[in-house]
Parts: sequence; structure tokens; C-alpha cells
Amino acid sequence: MNAVVRPRNLQGNRACALAAIEAGCRFYGGYPITPSSEIAECMAAELPRVDGVFVQMEDEIASMGAVVGASIGGVKAMTATSGPGFSLKQENLGYAAAAEVPCVIVNVMRGGPSTGLPTRPAQGDVMQARWGTHGDHPVIVLTPASVMEIHAETRRAFELAERYRVPVVLLYDEVLGHLVETVAAPADAGASATRRFASGPADAYQPYRPGADGIPDMARPGDGYRTHTTGLIHDEDGFPTQAPARVGAVMARLLGKLDAHRDAIERAECVDCGDAEVVVVAYGITARAAARAVAEARARGIRAGLFRPITLWPFAERAFAAATRGARRIVVAELNAGQLALEIERLAGRERVGRLNRLDGEPLAPAAVLAAIADAAGATGER
Amino acid sequence: MSDTATRQIRLAGTGGQGLGLAGRLLADACVAAGHAVAQSQTYEPTSRGGSSRSDLVVADGTVDYPLVTALDALLLLDQAALEDAPALLREGALVVTDAALVPHPPAAQGELHALPLTARARELGNPRVANMVGLGALVGLAGWPAFEQVERAVETSTPARFRELNLAALRAGRALVATDASAA
Amino acid sequence: MDTRTELPFEIRDYLRLDRMPHFLCPGCGHGIALRALLNAVHELGIDRDDLAVVSGIGCSGRLSAYIDANTVHATHGRPLAFATGLKLARPDLHVVVITGDGDCLAIGGNHLIHACRRNLDLTCLMLNNEVYGMTGGQASPTTAAARYTTTTPLGNHEPVFDACKLAEGAGASFVGREVTLQAPALKNLIREAIAHPGFAFVEVMSDCTEIYGRKNELGSSPEMVLRQKHDVRPESYGNAVERPFRPGPWRTGVLAKNERAEFGAAYRAHCRAHHGGGPGDV
Repeated sequence: MNAVVRPRNLQGNRACALAAIEAGCRFYGGYPITPSSEIAECMAAELPRVDGVFVQMEDEIASMGAVVGASIGGVKAMTATSGPGFSLKQENLGYAAAAEVPCVIVNVMRGGPSTGLPTRPAQGDVMQARWGTHGDHPVIVLTPASVMEIHAETRRAFELAERYRVPVVLLYDEVLGHLVETVAAPADAGASATRRFASGPADAYQPYRPGADGIPDMARPGDGYRTHTTGLIHDEDGFPTQAPARVGAVMARLLGKLDAHRDAIERAECVDCGDAEVVVVAYGITARAAARAVAEARARGIRAGLFRPITLWPFAERAFAAATRGARRIVVAELNAGQLALEIERLAGRERVGRLNRLDGEPLAPAAVLAAIADAAGATGER
Repeated sequence: MSDTATRQIRLAGTGGQGLGLAGRLLADACVAAGHAVAQSQTYEPTSRGGSSRSDLVVADGTVDYPLVTALDALLLLDQAALEDAPALLREGALVVTDAALVPHPPAAQGELHALPLTARARELGNPRVANMVGLGALVGLAGWPAFEQVERAVETSTPARFRELNLAALRAGRALVATDASAA
Repeated sequence: MDTRTELPFEIRDYLRLDRMPHFLCPGCGHGIALRALLNAVHELGIDRDDLAVVSGIGCSGRLSAYIDANTVHATHGRPLAFATGLKLARPDLHVVVITGDGDCLAIGGNHLIHACRRNLDLTCLMLNNEVYGMTGGQASPTTAAARYTTTTPLGNHEPVFDACKLAEGAGASFVGREVTLQAPALKNLIREAIAHPGFAFVEVMSDCTEIYGRKNELGSSPEMVLRQKHDVRPESYGNAVERPFRPGPWRTGVLAKNERAEFGAAYRAHCRAHHGGGPGDV
């Protein structure tokens, strides 16, 4: 379909930056933090070539603030960070969710808590990505598992952010960030979503009155709408309200606005799930280990499958249910103490779900996942 | 695809020995030869001196698990970088070491070649091209990827002022193994 | 195109009248600052469509909602960060930041010093009323010695920030201070600050009658405003005032002004020099 450029080797973090620019990102506010800094470095070099702006802000909080400010200005904007910086960004990320300011936040996960293991991989921010900012809020979290997919999902992150006016978190681990892989990226993966700016008479415009798709058009400063943007709970006119009936209504729309679009937002890969007795749920680098483990299990006669969420939040519940309908055991493999496992247990019932966790700064190897599959298969009484 | 369907290579030494560059050049050569590559390297706080390695997983088609699990080949330029490599070596793996800097090479699971890599580099005028000497030896012994592809990667991806020296070192490494008699 | 500049200043032209009545307490000095800002905008002929006002959290933060322009009510302490992104992305806009002493000097202090260093073309109005008013009257980095607040029940013992010295030390290319008592001078100072090509910091000595004044028995609003004559030392007063309540003489007027490269323009020129094109060329 698309012209494919010659395969080349590309680092994960670099693929992220290049894809962002392809998606039309023209503002990057950053702060150095391991293991995400290559994204900032690449943006600093590349954005000036496309009339974009790179700025290294004074801290993580400021970089998120600048991204929100730039996006309010009508420009696609991104930042990247890792665990501690992601924590610091949460308040302004919540502002973006509340004020419905599109933006993309990359979190290249390292070991935590606190300064943790700065150079080692982890997947400990699954829940922070979903619930890190205070209060109930909409957010989309994407979790690619290869350099090629980092490229594709970064592009999709901008599509979703702009289309649904929501912060989108791109969540992957240190291994993928620094991994160099052969990619055959499309030379041009097609036009990227442009923001739906307000048009029509200014006096009839209500900044938060939803369109047919539940999403309001966004005013661009200078176009004559002179809107007010606030993190206070606000009514359709953009101004604060505390009237319970109005607060209830606007919160219902805000929290529900992604529901009608879950088919477009959710993405997951199923491998050999059709007849699987044991389904492994894994994402990011762990999914790569699981893919090999499932293949080896199959070679040994175990009916294993892999369910790999690519959209992590909102979780692809229907695809997951379909993939695990026949499975007796589900193994959730992740580099944390069991975070996505909580969601899987909620969906599949605790009795069906086993956990495989690693917290020592090393990725889970295929052999470990294979052993867990074999254990689970034994527990089913099949082998 | 299981790990038996991939070729896995580790280039290891100390920081500053240029193993990252050697890994990138080898990866580029593999891609030029039509393979898919996943390359990872040690990633630690920025400073010189610690052990450093560059791992490659090479496949036809796509690489499933991108980190090494069973090494087909190991280039070792410093004893300190041995780390977990012995446990990862596959039966019959090819091991190339610097004879002077690796006094205790891994026990013979495979084919060991202890070579004067740094000494040869010094003769060429700069001990820092030991990485290229080692790469030339490794590729010469493995017979794969095609030596010309590696040469081309060196030509296109190293700075002009080092190009000739790097190429000379690469070829010197191959020459070492053409006459090498130390095979275990 | 806004042609009202040719007409006499009428504040109603720049306010969102449907947001009235406003939220400020009777006697609050912030209204004087707001009027001075809008009057300056009028005199400069800035089209409301091209004006962006970014405010933080606190009493000062609420002012943006009343201004008929592109307004952003940011998070606590971060209006300068938001404004930096907005101005870099949209150099065509006039961006004014309204912040308070707590917002700007405490939680947002890091952003202030780096905004001063960068010298992006922003105008930062810090309305200093010496207290966290909206949260009920807690001490701020500018609460004067011995003053009572809800968090200094024994009287304040912490040293205060001299915000203008801080801004100047951090490299702001325009620094000024004025009192709400001198409304025309305040308007002129803000006008000069907005016209200045670079980061302009203006400290507005405001007053909080309701929360701070009452607790410290500083009198009614007129008394508090008149007190500025004694407590702050306008340059023209020389050393006539013997005992200002702050340590040392607090001068008003333009305190620092110098020409140095504006951050956004310098960045664009730098990029253009390397790549031919450059942001903002479109």
C-alpha cells in the first residue's frame, strides 16, 4: 500500500521521535531523564528542520506545562520522561485531561519506586499511567512491543490525542527504548489527523459543547473565539461551575467520551489463542519473551496462546474475553509485582489467573515464561 | 521461531573499546545481507571504564525475542567483560578473545581463538581499533555475514578520518584467522 | 481588526461582562492591577484576539477569566511554564502572565528564575499581596516580618523575597515595581513592560484587605493603599520615609532594563542559520 523505505536499523527512542515528527508534532518540551533522553536529543536535532520548536525546560513539571501551553496554542506537542519524571508530570497531565488539551507523553519505564533502577527495565507504571493524576479522568495508554511498533503507536498516539482531545501516554520499557531493530517503516504512513478547530460564528461557539462524536471542536487562539481554558471543572462555556447538576453532567461526558470510540482506540494482538488451554497476557518486552515461549510450548504440544494488549488503557476487554474464552489458565507476565494482573483477575476471575513477575531489573526471559506456561498447563490436567 | 532459529552474537569488552560501534556495523551488515537484527547493549550511567557489550540477535524474517539467550559467537576484548557469557554459550559456539587481555577465556564449550587483537591494532598505529581487528577475525571465522558487507558498513558508517584505519584493522583481523593455528 | 484603540479606554470593552460580578473581595487591590493591564493593552492597540493571558492559582489566578481575550487558568505555580509553551508555539500572540506572590515565588519559583534567564517575550505581572488569600490567609514568601497569618500565629519570622532583585539577578531584561496607589504609573509601567521585547517582570504591590489587613489591623482598604506611601519607597520619595516595614528601601518604577536577545527570535534565527528555514517563517 505505502512505499516502503529500505530496511534500516533504528533505536526505539529514536523511532519514537521520528514518528512524532511524521505525525505533525511541532513542539517538544523536555527534561533529561534516563532512559528516555534520546527522544529529547533526537527532537532537539530534528524539530528545527521542520520549523518546530524544541525547548529543554527547567524541570519535569515545566516541560509538561509547556506542552499543554503549546497545544492550547494549536500546535501538536509532546514530551517524554521516565518514572520519577512521570510522577512529577501528573498534575499537568490531569489538567490536559480536564481541559481536554491533546498531548502525547512518553514514559520509558525504568525500575522504581523513587530513583529506583534508572538504567534497568521495568513495567511498574501500568497503574500510574492510568491513575497517576488525581481524580477520575480519561486517558489513553499505548504499549508497543518493538521498535517498529513504537513508530506506529507514536503516530497513533497523536491521532488519538487530537481526535479525542485527550492526553495519550506511550508506555514502553528501557529495553525497547534502547533496542536497535531492523525496521521497514513506510515512507509515508498517510496523512495524520489534524485538529478539528472551531469554525463558524464566535458568539454561537461553546468551547465544550460536544460534536456528534462527543468531542468538542477546539478553538485556536487568534481565530476570534477568545475562550477560557481552566483546570477547574467547567461548563460547556468553558467557565467554572460548581452546580452539582452541571458538574455531574460535564463529568459524565468527560469520563464517557472515549466509550463510543473504544473500537477505534483499543488494539490487541492474539497469537494462537483460538484453541489455547493456557493464554499468556504480556506487553512490551515481556510480550516478546512470551511470543517465543508460546511457540516453544506449542512445539512441545502445549496449547498455548498469547494475548498482547497494544492499547493498555482502556483495556481491550472484548478482545480479551474472546481470546480467553476457552482458556483454563491465564498467566499474566510483567516486570512488576502484579499490576495488569489486577485488571485480568477482575475480568477473568482470580481462580483462572496466575502471575509471573520479575522485579530485579532484568527482563523476563522466554524460558521463564515457558516454565510458567508448562506449570499452568500441568494445572489444567492436560499434560 | 525459537532461539535455535536465530544467530546470536556478543561483542564484549570495556567501555571505550568501541564495541557499540562494532555492534552497529555488524548489525548494518546483517541488514544489508537481508536479515532482521535486534541489537542491544549495556546501558549504564555515562562513564568510561566499566564493562561494555553489544548483543545481536539475527534472524531471517523477524526477531521474536530480541535479547540473547544462547550465544553462537562471542568476541571478548577484556577479561572483565566475561560476566554471564559462559552460561550463555551454545554448544560449539565460536569464541574469539584478545590473547593478552583475556588470560582466562571461557572453558571450552566451543571453538576458542585467542588472538593478538590489541597487539595487531597497536601495530597498525592505534590500539583503539582492536574492535575492528576483532570484528574482522570474528566474521572471518564465522564466514558470515559476507565480509564485503561488513567492509561496506565500515565505509559508510565511520567518520572519514578513521575510515582507512578501520578498514585496515578489519582486514588485519581477517588475516589473523586466515593463519590462526590456535583453534582449540 | 480591533479599532477601539482610537477611542478612549473603556474597561467594559475588555471584560467578559457576563462573568460579573467578579470574585474579588471589596477593597482588593487586584482590581486596580487588572484595570491598569487592560488600559495598557488598550493604549498599545493590542487586538484582544491576539492577546493571551495565562494565570496561575490564587486570587490573582482568577483574573484571567474576566478578560475578554484568549485566557488560560493554569495549574498552581505553572503559568510561566504554560506561557512558555504557548509563546514558543505561537510567537504571533502577545502573552501576559498574571501570578501572585505564592504562585510565582514559592511553588513556581523555579519557573520564574528560568523565565528570567531565557528572556522569552512574556510579560509577567506578579500581584504581591503578601498572603495566600484564597486559601484563607497563610504566610507567603513576601509576608512581612511580624505579620500575623493563619500559619504564623505568633507573627512571621521568615525573611521575605525581594522579587525584583531575584528577577534581575536571574537575568530578566525588564524589571519594575509599582504600587496600586499610583494607578497611572502602574498602567505606564505595564505598558512599557508589554512593549519590551523580552521577559518583563513587574511586581505590583497590591493589598489584601479582607484576609491580611484585618488580621493585622492594617485598617480599611483606603488606609491600606495609602499605607503604601510609607511602606514602599517610590524612587521620587528619596529617603523621606524613615521606617518602611520591609527591610531596606523598596524602590518602585523601572528597576532594570537592558537589551538582550529575545529567546524565541534567537532560537528561530539559530535554527534558520543551520537549516535554511526556521520556526515562524510560515
